[in-house]
Amino acid sequence: MKAIKLVTMVLFLSISGMSYAQTVQEILDKYVENTGGRAKWEALKGMKMTASVNQQGMEIPLTIISLKDGRQTTNINFQGMSIKQNVFDGTTLWSTNFMSMKAEKSDAETTAIFKATSTDFPDPLLNYKAKGYQVELLGKESIEGTETFKIKLTKKPVMVEGQLQDDISYYFFDTENFIRIMIENEIKTGQGKGMVSQVTMSDYQEVDGLFFPFSMAQGVKGLGSQPIVISKIELNPTVEDSEFVFPEE
Amino acid sequence: MKYIILPFFVFFTIISSEAQEAVTKGKELFGDLKARQIGPALMSGRISDLEVHPSNDRIIYAGTAGGGVWKSVDGGAKFQSIFDDYCQSVGAVVLDPSQPDKVVWVGTGETWTRNSVSAGNGIYRSGDGGTNWQKMGLENSERIGNIIVHPKNSDIVYVAVLGALWSDSEDRGVYKTTDGGKTWNKILYVNKTTGCADLAIDPSNPGTLYASFWEFRRTPWSFSSGGHSSALYKSTDEGKTWAKIHNGLPAGQLGRMGIAVAPSNPNILYTVVESEQNKDKGLYRSDDAGISWKLLSNDFGLVVRPFYFSRIVVDPKNPEVVVKGGLFGSISRDGGKTFKNLGPMHADIHDIAFDIKNSDRMYVGTDGGVYRTWDGGNTMEMVENLPVSQFYHVTVDNQTPYNIYGGLQDNGSWYGPSSSPGGIEARDWHSVGVGDGFRVYPHPTKKIVYSEMQGADNIWRLDVDRQQVKTIQPLPVEGDPKLRFNWNTSITTSPNKPDRIYVGSQFLHKSEDMGDNWVKISPDLTTNDPAKQDQASSGGLSRDNSGAENHCTIFTIAESELDEKIVWVGTDDGQVQVTQDGGKTWKNVSATLPGLPKNTWCYHIEPSHFRKGSAYAVFDGHSMGDMKPYAYKTTDFGATWTSIITPEIEGFTRSLKEDYVNENLLFLGTELGLYVTMNGGKNWMKFTNNVPAVAVMHIAQHKGTNDIILATHGRGVIIIDDVSPLRQINETTLNKELHFFDLNPLTVIEENGFGGASGETQFVGPNPSKSARFAYYLKKRHTFGKMTMEIQDLQGNKLSELTPGKSKGINVVEWNFRTKSPKVAGGKTFSAGSMTAPRVPAGKYKVVIQKGNDTFSQEFEVKMIRLLQ
Repeated sequence: MKAIKLVTMVLFLSISGMSYAQTVQEILDKYVENTGGRAKWEALKGMKMTASVNQQGMEIPLTIISLKDGRQTTNINFQGMSIKQNVFDGTTLWSTNFMSMKAEKSDAETTAIFKATSTDFPDPLLNYKAKGYQVELLGKESIEGTETFKIKLTKKPVMVEGQLQDDISYYFFDTENFIRIMIENEIKTGQGKGMVSQVTMSDYQEVDGLFFPFSMAQGVKGLGSQPIVISKIELNPTVEDSEFVFPEE
Repeated sequence: MKYIILPFFVFFTIISSEAQEAVTKGKELFGDLKARQIGPALMSGRISDLEVHPSNDRIIYAGTAGGGVWKSVDGGAKFQSIFDDYCQSVGAVVLDPSQPDKVVWVGTGETWTRNSVSAGNGIYRSGDGGTNWQKMGLENSERIGNIIVHPKNSDIVYVAVLGALWSDSEDRGVYKTTDGGKTWNKILYVNKTTGCADLAIDPSNPGTLYASFWEFRRTPWSFSSGGHSSALYKSTDEGKTWAKIHNGLPAGQLGRMGIAVAPSNPNILYTVVESEQNKDKGLYRSDDAGISWKLLSNDFGLVVRPFYFSRIVVDPKNPEVVVKGGLFGSISRDGGKTFKNLGPMHADIHDIAFDIKNSDRMYVGTDGGVYRTWDGGNTMEMVENLPVSQFYHVTVDNQTPYNIYGGLQDNGSWYGPSSSPGGIEARDWHSVGVGDGFRVYPHPTKKIVYSEMQGADNIWRLDVDRQQVKTIQPLPVEGDPKLRFNWNTSITTSPNKPDRIYVGSQFLHKSEDMGDNWVKISPDLTTNDPAKQDQASSGGLSRDNSGAENHCTIFTIAESELDEKIVWVGTDDGQVQVTQDGGKTWKNVSATLPGLPKNTWCYHIEPSHFRKGSAYAVFDGHSMGDMKPYAYKTTDFGATWTSIITPEIEGFTRSLKEDYVNENLLFLGTELGLYVTMNGGKNWMKFTNNVPAVAVMHIAQHKGTNDIILATHGRGVIIIDDVSPLRQINETTLNKELHFFDLNPLTVIEENGFGGASGETQFVGPNPSKSARFAYYLKKRHTFGKMTMEIQDLQGNKLSELTPGKSKGINVVEWNFRTKSPKVAGGKTFSAGSMTAPRVPAGKYKVVIQKGNDTFSQEFEVKMIRLLQ
């Protein structure tokens, strides 16, 4: 009797041991597979998202364009005026100043940090090795009531306030579908320095064979978040170069 | 010379699977029911250990007595909590000198062993600067005095384990790992009563170590510091062999000794000695690496309360500058010959850290937070964003917004609002008592506050409007024995008679006129054991008669709100007594508590809101070395009791609250956090959403808002707003795909926006949401497909669109009572008027969720505006 118990216990342990033996690579592979497949993701050249941010009952419409070569822009069209934020043309990062409605360049350090992410499209985890990034499975964690794998992504170090710092983020994939439901980052500079930023994702829907979250919430851990709802995603859009160019006066 | 060589000990990590499941289940259910930590930080709390980064002077860590570990990345201007999920009592925080940006070690269990000190549960390591943590064993260490990582080899770590305070233990001494914490060897052990209080290394020759051993013990009624086993040891072979270094130190019994090596000249050592003769106590210095010692000074600042202050810190650049923790902190600039006090700040200095580049800049850890100085300790400035306040108790009043009242370890008594324009700022709090504060009660109907200080030295009645204070503690009358009041004296008001107040000594005292006149309504309700009443000689080698060890006293009093004649009393020596006739007759009902060791401290009694004979009793045996949780329920006035504790609960128990609507909904506070049951205690879940693993000393509930308010001993006041959804959790609701919780009418609240004058470096407690809150339960997280949520009128016209929560468990979605903002024609400037959407009028509406093909809806009512005062 005792022997049987022991055998079942060993069996149980080995089975539960197996279920833990997911490697990082397996999780990432399943994620890529379940959201459309490696070939499709690698072939993606750019995307244009039409979205809106709901600010206390006021809807702010946005268009976000990001291209494989790292160029991107966020266009806000509000009360007939066009405002651009975080526009990157490959070298210059700029935004429209809300006071003067004129374009202003970001400081050199911010630009450098932004530029470091320009190979990330469409996803920093896709072919992370080729990008010089490292990943590590830290274990499981409950996020939004759901069991997830917590994966640490270490990118190349960036210069923050004159000091070289590791660029680390944490990705949470639900253990049922291997879908990403949250990303965490430490805020490195500014008022929230030392706090953790969080982006959650849901409402995954298919667009030409690829799955994207159509609802995201961006915020600071413990301090609430700002939702963004995506109404349309266009893949490989045609975009004029002028979209990204810093307007010289 | 005596060499001690010890056998090889290896610790195994034991994780209770039930306890882990209680955390996971809680995370799967509580969802958006998140607590808010409102501080305050204006009085802050006890800091046990400070650590500075060896090469980046912007990075500072602070370990606290009961509030976890905090990290600053901006030179001490602001701190962030980085250790929420683990034991909040911290003995040591240490950075690995070879990888200071990455590897942080935390030893749990504070070593400043006052009566209210908490207990640790092992050692932790972070490999990424404090973001993620892993437990590395030493589970039974209880308190860790210091950790030293080998300056060149990250795998070699030495740990000073002081060990158990309230019991014998073999888990004490110096421990060493050579594999980064996977296994530990005990390399120096003395005996079951003597632990390693301090450990130092010669940074230039890491084979040389110094260890101070201390014989010590606490009981609920006594403290003893010192004995023949206390000693200073030195090893020159990486801890393989140790020898006593007492040449020049006093003979006889020794007490607690700190030890420090001057980093810039490792032949110079300092120690502070507690010994039998007053003339021998004081600061000793060795100039020959411990071969001989010389007494230099025995100023009061150096010898006061060695159990509470023994840290010595030497300026990293100058071996002649030495600082000693103490009542005010002492600094010497002549190698220890003469000392002066540090600048004015909160009393009780536990640790000091010098800036790595400029020794004029120092950080000081006190009973009232972290202080900074820029001028060598003359002028001290407080860090105003460390909400590590140590509350003992909490009560609330029925104003709108309601106020929160409570007392703190060495930080007086206070009340402040649960909500304030711009957030709950330091200036919103009002002081209503000095010294060590404990229980504070508002008068149920008048603007009067009762508060007290240590051991009922004073009980005050404050008339808030007239700002008049009267001292009202019961005094002995002719024929009375000496009255014994607990350090944390029990006071309570009556839920039935507003002017009534009770105070417990060994007798129960009652006043019907707010404390002007008192009558004793009980005999001595304790065991009155004379062996436990010798607190005046407590302290060991240094007599310490503060009153903190008064024993055989009443600790908790509760009058039933269903019948004013029913009063429950619990004592610190384990007696539960009940009267059903207003004190004429008393019945001791403690003999029927199953599984409870005799004389276990009765910490809290909670009479039920539903039946006269029903009550809950919570017991805490930690001060007799028993760390198990105990909570019981009776339905027959204590004739029989049933345990409501399950293996899911971690930490010894302190407090309990029965929801006033659903008798199966209970909140239980332990030393390691908050637990909730929705089935009367059959099983429990841990509530972790912004409630750290902190000691929950007392729990209040506000009837108007259904808020749960926690008094934590290290993280201030924590509020869980509106817990009413938990009343509706049962098998049926848990099995629905989506369940809308019942809604009370929603009220629009007006408030001026003129608060918020606090600066960036001042802590501001978050307000509750003023929006409408819709709560629903989701059986599974919504990840795939569309999900939308909108407010409609009863005809189904869309008024506003909301973003639904998608978590598994309880989701709370807020709505600001506004419809969509109007569309505006394009123009050259923005039209600000259009940026605010109009509010809906009072009336009936519905909230509709579309999830895939399913529609869920719930009607609700919006009520007229209620003005805040």
